[in-house]
Amino acid sequence: MTEMPSVRVEGASFSYPGGKAGVFDITIDIAPGELVVCIGPSGCGKTTLLKLITGLLPCSAGRVWLGGEDVTTASVRSRQCGIVFQSYALFPHMSVWENVAYPLRVRAVDRTERRRQAEAMLDTVGLRGYSERLPAALSGGQQQRVALARALVFKPRTLLLDEPLSALDAATRISMRDEIRRIQKQQNIASLLITHDRDEALSLADRVAVLRDGRLVQIAPPQELYDRPADAFVASFIGRTNLIDGRVVAPDAVDTAIGRIVTPAHAMPMGAAVRLLVRPERIEPSSTETGENVFAATVVHDRFFGASREIELSVGQGMLKIDTTVRGTIAHVHLPRQAVQFLPTH
Amino acid sequence: MIPRWITVAYFLYLASPIALLFIGSFGDLWLNSLLPTGITVKWYLDVAADPNFRRAFMASLFVAVMTSVACVAIGLPLAYAVFRTQSQRVRAAARVLYQLPVAMPALVLAFGFILVFSSDTLPWLGSIWLLVAGHIVLWLPYFLQTVVADMQRLGLRVLEDAAETLGSTPLQRFFHIVLPALRLSVLSGLIIVVALSIGEFQFSNLIAGFLNRTYPVVLLQAFYGATGFACAATVILLTLALIASFTGAFVARGAARLSVAGDER
Amino acid sequence: MRPRSHLLLAAPAVVFLAVFFVLPVAAVAVDALGEGTRAFVRVFSLPEFWPSLEGSLLLTLVAASISTAVGFAVALHLSRLPERQRTLYSLVVALPLTFSGLIVAYGFILGYGRAGFFTQLLGWLGADPAIIGKALFTPGGLAFASSYYLIPRVVMGILPVLVNFDRAQLVVAESLGATPAQALRHVLLPQVAAPLGNAFCLVAAVVFGAYGTALALVGTQLRILPLQLYSLISETGTDFPAAAALALMITAACAAIMTTGEWFGSRHERHL
Repeated sequence: MTEMPSVRVEGASFSYPGGKAGVFDITIDIAPGELVVCIGPSGCGKTTLLKLITGLLPCSAGRVWLGGEDVTTASVRSRQCGIVFQSYALFPHMSVWENVAYPLRVRAVDRTERRRQAEAMLDTVGLRGYSERLPAALSGGQQQRVALARALVFKPRTLLLDEPLSALDAATRISMRDEIRRIQKQQNIASLLITHDRDEALSLADRVAVLRDGRLVQIAPPQELYDRPADAFVASFIGRTNLIDGRVVAPDAVDTAIGRIVTPAHAMPMGAAVRLLVRPERIEPSSTETGENVFAATVVHDRFFGASREIELSVGQGMLKIDTTVRGTIAHVHLPRQAVQFLPTH
Repeated sequence: MIPRWITVAYFLYLASPIALLFIGSFGDLWLNSLLPTGITVKWYLDVAADPNFRRAFMASLFVAVMTSVACVAIGLPLAYAVFRTQSQRVRAAARVLYQLPVAMPALVLAFGFILVFSSDTLPWLGSIWLLVAGHIVLWLPYFLQTVVADMQRLGLRVLEDAAETLGSTPLQRFFHIVLPALRLSVLSGLIIVVALSIGEFQFSNLIAGFLNRTYPVVLLQAFYGATGFACAATVILLTLALIASFTGAFVARGAARLSVAGDER
Repeated sequence: MRPRSHLLLAAPAVVFLAVFFVLPVAAVAVDALGEGTRAFVRVFSLPEFWPSLEGSLLLTLVAASISTAVGFAVALHLSRLPERQRTLYSLVVALPLTFSGLIVAYGFILGYGRAGFFTQLLGWLGADPAIIGKALFTPGGLAFASSYYLIPRVVMGILPVLVNFDRAQLVVAESLGATPAQALRHVLLPQVAAPLGNAFCLVAAVVFGAYGTALALVGTQLRILPLQLYSLISETGTDFPAAAALALMITAACAAIMTTGEWFGSRHERHL
């Protein structure tokens, strides 16, 4: 390791009293300037993880480092995490600039100086001229920017964002997504963003961490996550899938409900039960009727989306989903060998 | 539309006693006529000059102010405890407390006070402080309900978490966040308490000692005298209640304006 | 994080309520039950008890019914108004909530008493002023006056429910062939029945336990239970155990009505 990670969570665990789901044995490093997006279904422990880093919840096991310092038992206020809460948690009785300047106020920065820094930060987030307003007079996207400015103004060791975009309407959400990315890169701060929206995760993240039932299933850059998911859960959570169960019949072939599928060479024993993943957009309509991994198909369902079609096909004894831009009727499909990958069966 | 006509009739029903009281208080003579004859302010001067009413007014004011002070001193911490607790039992107890003013008639509470505080061990009957204590029991639930509801509406818990992550100490959080964010609901809670306390009759009538009778208790005696005097004395109480209602509404509107859209969930 | 330290904040209020609420209530209970059921038997044999019970039931039933019906109609009308207008009218409707019962009593004497404004007006229209002038001082008349501070409670309880009610449902019902009256009865009423029941119980409990307005209107001659208790307490040489037994019964009745109301309330919450 050339550089100390800004954030290091090592084997962190927490369980709620009464057996409610917590998090178990989570290990994540976030490098300076890196944006890690943590994604998972609701109740998977995303927000719990964030609270463990901030200290709003205590780790029952494991350790947390921030900027190279072990803060596992440190108080919340000494940890210096900038947080954007899901509800923004703007102080309703303070004006915009007073909200942003609050962390400086409790650090005893004098009034003119904290006003200056707050204004500068408001400039950065694109809110010049809004200083004197009350939060209630702002739109959702503007409140979001105030929350971001407030979380950054005191040069925290890390920026943590708890579903920051979930309260915004669809159009604002996409522009704020780019804004957050821009500001985060400009400030070059190690960040953790929590979401349940996979488009958000894939488009924003340097790396995506997938959580399920309080456990970290996989952490990887978006492309790698999509192309080489650790298991069927990650595969389906991160995109559309064809999951095909079968039995190994050759070092490069598997018998399945849709027929014999030729795969990349593997080391699986003969007769082993396996699960194959093929992404719908990797399957091509075929003009030829025979060839490697070419199967006769009957269209069951055809949804037209303008640029593309999502088609469900009956193939052999099974079903396949494909995404294609090809127009016209489809009678055969081709599964390129490289598009077929093995997933572990649980 | 039927509801519309009922509403019109209801507003007449609502306004007529108020109007008649005001008219009567400025009327010189009102005896078996539809409306009084002559205009005068003498009844107000009479009430203001009456030593019984003056003393009663001060007693009522004292009780109302002391009740408010106590509501803040013990009610605000209680509200915070109720708000922060995870315990279902404490929450259930708080809900019961909210129902008390209705489920437990003031008359019965007064009787209980007579039984307990006329004893030799606790001989406090007749003291104005006992009156204050009773009013606190009667009005604390209203204060509590107003403030706890505001804490929930503001999402105070998350605001405190946010302030903590931004580096504030517990004391700073209390003075920078909790108190200022709640100031309007505390104020409107206190306005309710003052208004109810000043108008309270059923408890005070039995508990107030002769020297610290409150305004409504003395007012009842006036009903048996001249109409104009009774009207003027009633209008004073009425005006205080009206002022309280309008100020309260004004403050509540301010509190609603502070609420941030993102916190309403 | 430290839930126990938060509960510590409740301590002063809890101690205070223990001394000035629990202790007096316990004293009433102890006095009432101290001689077994004998105090209750003495209450039942008081000559005014049964008429007073009858008066209280009549007052409570009439006042709560009028208030709920009128309050519902008013709330229905307010719920259709634009928000600014509704806020203003709600403020006016809420005014009586802070009024002392004495204000109400004297206002009604001026309006509907023996020489009251409306009594005389109705007299000109041909009614017998002697009958109208006396009506105010019966349980029914008291119900009419008490509704003054009960109706606002109903309106305040029902209005939010009606405002949140999606009126498109009524349009849908009518488009499906229901008459406006049927739409109200089949679609709106079932959805507001529980809050209405809750409001009915709330005002019933309030009026059942109150004596201030009644005392100011009629003095202690009116036969209702709280006034009977008031007489028992303020008389000299009182049978305190009997008074305590009566107080306990009134409290139990009020609490029972409130609990019924809460049950309606929880039914509504489950509905949402």
